[in-house]
Amino acid sequence: MNNYKSKVSYDSPCDSDNDWTNSSDDSKYSDSESSVPEWDSDVGEDGELVYIKIKNDNETTDYTKTPLLENCETFKLRNNFKRSSTRRSTKGRIFKVLKSHKSKTTESSTRKGDDGASNVNRNMLPDEKLIIVQVSKSMIFSSEKNCQIEKLFGLSLETHADGKTLTVAEFLTEARAIYTPKVQKGYYLQKINGIEVNSYNINNILQRVVEDHNSPRLTFQVPTESHKVDLERLLKSKTAPENSLTHLLKESLCSVLYICCNDIEYNSNDDKGVLYCYPRPFNQNFLYNTRGAYVTLNHLAPKSLGTSEPTTSTVLHNNTLINVTYTSHYNDLLLIAFPNKEVDMFAAKKAIADVVRLLEFLYGSIKSSFTKPNNVDKLDSLFARVFVTLVINSRGNKEDGGRSVELYFEDMLAAHSVTLPLEVKVQVDDAITELEAADYREWTDDIENFQRLYTVIGSCLYYSGHLLSSHLQDEDLKEINAYLRLNGILKLSTEKELEKLVVWREVFINEHRKQNKNEGNEFRISDGRWFLLTVGKGHFVLSTLMEAGGCTEDAVGVTPPSPFYVEECESCLELLYDVGLNKYLVSWFNSNSQPQVETSPEYLTKYGRKIRDINSLKPDSTLKTSTLKISKQTDKRRHNSTEQINVGSSTSDMNSMNSLTNYGSHHSLYAQTYSTAPKYRHSSLDVSYSEDSNSLKSNSEVSEERIQGRRADREQRNRRDSSGSDSDWDRLDRSRASGSLDMSDIRKSLLNEINHVTAKRITAGEENVLFHFVHLESERGVLIAPVKNIEVLANNVLYSYIVKTFRSACKQIHELLQHSIRFKKNHAPSNPLNKILVAVKEHGMLFQAPVDILSQCGVSKKNCEPYLFWVVGRVFSEPEPRELYLCYHESVPQDLTEVAYLLSYLE
Amino acid sequence: MSVVVIAVATESGVPIFSRKRGNNESIQFSTIASLHGINMFSKCHNLSMLNTQVDNGTILWKEYCKSVTLIGIATGGLECDLELLLSCVHDAMVFCIGKKELETLKNIDQIKRDLRQCYPILDYLLESLDPNALSSPLPTLVLDLIQSILCPQAQQLQQALDNYAESVTGRWACLIIHGHLVATSSDFYELDPREARLMLLLASAQDGAPLRDTPVYLPQMSPNVAFRAVTCKLLADVYILVVCGATPALSQIDEIVLQCWEGYASIIKEAKLVHPRNFPMSLTFEPCVLGLLIININKRRCVFSRHLHLSSQKGRGMSGAHRMDILRTFYVTSARDLAPELKLKDGNHKEVNDEIGNMCETYWCSEYHKCHAQRSGNILCCALYASTVQLHTIRLITSQILQDLSTNKDVYW
Repeated sequence: MNNYKSKVSYDSPCDSDNDWTNSSDDSKYSDSESSVPEWDSDVGEDGELVYIKIKNDNETTDYTKTPLLENCETFKLRNNFKRSSTRRSTKGRIFKVLKSHKSKTTESSTRKGDDGASNVNRNMLPDEKLIIVQVSKSMIFSSEKNCQIEKLFGLSLETHADGKTLTVAEFLTEARAIYTPKVQKGYYLQKINGIEVNSYNINNILQRVVEDHNSPRLTFQVPTESHKVDLERLLKSKTAPENSLTHLLKESLCSVLYICCNDIEYNSNDDKGVLYCYPRPFNQNFLYNTRGAYVTLNHLAPKSLGTSEPTTSTVLHNNTLINVTYTSHYNDLLLIAFPNKEVDMFAAKKAIADVVRLLEFLYGSIKSSFTKPNNVDKLDSLFARVFVTLVINSRGNKEDGGRSVELYFEDMLAAHSVTLPLEVKVQVDDAITELEAADYREWTDDIENFQRLYTVIGSCLYYSGHLLSSHLQDEDLKEINAYLRLNGILKLSTEKELEKLVVWREVFINEHRKQNKNEGNEFRISDGRWFLLTVGKGHFVLSTLMEAGGCTEDAVGVTPPSPFYVEECESCLELLYDVGLNKYLVSWFNSNSQPQVETSPEYLTKYGRKIRDINSLKPDSTLKTSTLKISKQTDKRRHNSTEQINVGSSTSDMNSMNSLTNYGSHHSLYAQTYSTAPKYRHSSLDVSYSEDSNSLKSNSEVSEERIQGRRADREQRNRRDSSGSDSDWDRLDRSRASGSLDMSDIRKSLLNEINHVTAKRITAGEENVLFHFVHLESERGVLIAPVKNIEVLANNVLYSYIVKTFRSACKQIHELLQHSIRFKKNHAPSNPLNKILVAVKEHGMLFQAPVDILSQCGVSKKNCEPYLFWVVGRVFSEPEPRELYLCYHESVPQDLTEVAYLLSYLE
Repeated sequence: MSVVVIAVATESGVPIFSRKRGNNESIQFSTIASLHGINMFSKCHNLSMLNTQVDNGTILWKEYCKSVTLIGIATGGLECDLELLLSCVHDAMVFCIGKKELETLKNIDQIKRDLRQCYPILDYLLESLDPNALSSPLPTLVLDLIQSILCPQAQQLQQALDNYAESVTGRWACLIIHGHLVATSSDFYELDPREARLMLLLASAQDGAPLRDTPVYLPQMSPNVAFRAVTCKLLADVYILVVCGATPALSQIDEIVLQCWEGYASIIKEAKLVHPRNFPMSLTFEPCVLGLLIININKRRCVFSRHLHLSSQKGRGMSGAHRMDILRTFYVTSARDLAPELKLKDGNHKEVNDEIGNMCETYWCSEYHKCHAQRSGNILCCALYASTVQLHTIRLITSQILQDLSTNKDVYW
């Protein structure tokens, strides 16, 4: 702890041995003491940190449904306050040191108060489905097994895989009427008479029930995510994963094995060269037991068969198909096995590439990850997370027929990115750039004399698992994406609303690793250390790659995260909140607009057209069309340079575009509140100004909260100017005149303007025939596709069928197109390629939707022309390989080159 | 490209044979032993290695009859269904020596010797994977389909075949021209398509002998009791094959053949002229169609043609053999998905991963050509087009071809 505190003291960008810090030693220390970040205690011995705080589920009311009230001026002002308060904690501190303000005891105390409140919230149960059943005391059920539970409640219980929770196994016939249909087998028995029960205390509680005269009340919990493992807990845990999870992974036949095959280590090692094996114990791990086969094959194939080393094997064990992947590292062999049901061959190949990437990123090389001392627990939990992400949590619910749901084609390939309007993109990039620039001149003029702790190499921003922006090198992005995805951070940020997430750890960047291999490079990058700081808030995740060494301070020894940089990243996210990006993205993700995909495929049939016409005659649709028309005009103006982009016709309304109607209602609301906004602003300023009539130094906490950065300077100047004047109005006017030029205000107004979502089309033809698309830039590690929840938005059986077909067809097409890409990459390949396949650059498949699915969508069998749709993939090899996959209705032929062209306009 | 098939006695580990095609070195004994060892070792641990992928290739173990393990290794960008190949190899082994022998493996040396006679068939099977073999006189192109010629004379020839089969007290007979099936007796389709395919390979492997009988075991129909397959050369490259019992003797058959086929010489000659176009002259094709592969899915018969146009303009830049290879590769990699019933069925433990249902058309565009496949009922048409033709035109032409095939009277499968 002591060593950490000393670290904090030079965490500010200014080095400690300069005059002002010395002069204000006391205040500085008191400052750092008071602002110990809440994640402080979670920093591990090795300086790594995983801190996650999830927002209470109740708060996450879906913004999708409510009109975007938050966009109006009053709310933005409120946002402003919030922003100041968070920003201040970083910059304010420096200010205080500089100007020897009083310490922030009040602030830290309020913060603690906040903490307490949220703790309470956290302990409150999120709204789970609970079912309460009262069993009459007078009823005694006949139990064959003479079991107390059966006698009392008429049901039998079993212990859940976690060894603690009790689940309903069976109902006695007499008791069935009491429970069904409300309670079903597999539900958890959570409480009896309001007391939580588990396998340990059940007997005691039963005893109490027997003694109690009242009829017992049973609370059951619906197992919503019974098979899901709590990722949050897994991420946070510093110890090895629990036995129950290890057991679960063993059952699922997930396995990792690292074998060292050179003679010296083979003989010196107790386990015959096995350096790592998970899940353990060794003798129960099938990969361990059969490792001889893989090792032999790995030696044999290149030496005696003249083939390359094996990449994957499909094996059958206990009637389960398992894909075993091979990764050779010099003489060593890394084997990872995935059950085929969840991770098929295609996914396994992609997954192993990501795992290798991840290991190299985290430990420098595959070998060092398994030879690093005292690393077994870390690796255990890392692989547990990998398997949980890829296998356990991607298991389908029973309703889905047990099919895997999450391992989509898109997820396996690259970072899923979305097209954003240019203005929004600029906002996002702007915010990140500000972080990366690390320009602290606004806090101290003396900036040249200080050395910084880290250089920000680049960062990338995700929202709900979608990449919004990346300022990283391609390889770094791929690695960071693998890191975030396989650790489940992206998933977590998608499913839950994060209150705070801070993850810090040392990494080994690709550039440096490569450099080690070919020594003597003229343009060497400095020998430094690199750290990845991941900060999350809401559904945002911001990962920042930082360098220590070189032009910045050398990091020596254990390096915990610096609160300053954590706060910098947090304030970067905060900035995005200020701009209202969080609200904006919700509507953007729901708008299905860039480019628009047809989520009601049945409208493309003759019969469907009829339905649509009837629907569009309904009165409520008039509003929709009118608002859309407005947006169309505004958009055309802006994009007149790219007129090729088809602007969506106003009649193409879809179920999912509720948000559009919202814009309609919001529009008028906005106008109203806008006129009242100045008043609000006036009053707020009034309050603060009346207090600070004296000097700046005695500023109250309230007023200071709104001052920081450049803006703070400006406002302070304003205040100084106006201190002579008595009229509040006068001041107000001036502050409005200058203050409204503030960047953040401009930002806000921009975002407001583009709230009018315009649907764009990339397919030819009068109607929108596009169902889905994937645009993959494998070199960059990025792909563009409709948002991940597009199926949920569509809520349409036919659409889901089409997308499912699209995904499995894409796998095949992708495999085929790889021949061409590989050929183009190296013109003299070591292995001869099939000369026919390398020439293929486009592959298409035409599918027919089955009749039963059509009839579920209301297309009657009578007037049923076959419903046909294409899945087409094409590779564009210049300048670097890009692949475009398209799924569209057969009625309008499409040219993929043209579609790719139009799509490029949207970026 | 290279492909190797190795047969090992499962229990003893004695290598039975090893056939290869392509530019690889032959596999050494120690390697065979190691490969077999891998399989045996994993079996001890209740684990079976089904399939191993290497860069650009596959290694496959497959155990048949609980006695023989076949190991297949394909490399070098060879596009093939290795599992299908191994099961065909197994069929061929049964075809030659019977299932019982193969199961008991009593006298391994004897069996090794007996299996030598099926080497020509095995080599034909391997050849059918090799794109370089296309220029050979009797190319076999696809593993599991019977290459055929569609000719207007087929109906007449069928009567002659029926008549012939009856006279030799046989059941199944067929006429083979240039290794292609031209006509069959009416009950020939009682044979499993894969048995029929082996018959054809047997005829091809006769090396021009005028009359010969071979004992054959039918892998599906009669794996333990041998039939007698009599092949007779009528004209150059024209064979008739009949499966019959022990009588009549070969000398008698010689006479019967003369009686039965004397009058058909001219018809056979006419039918022979259909090769290499392989389609009746009444079927015409658009000039942009460069090659064609028509598959009758139920009968597992296929017709390849690259000489669709009489005035064959040369110098189109693509050799005929290359066209065949493109069509073949297109069929094996993509178009076969249009006919899921053609897939191997015995993979009962296979969890079907990429079950893409209801595909009805598929196409490839490459820099030099386009391929398009469409299915209509029982007929699958894969066509090779010039790269300049637009997709919508292609679709139109393909469906036109399919329609022509179903309406043309000269088309008799």
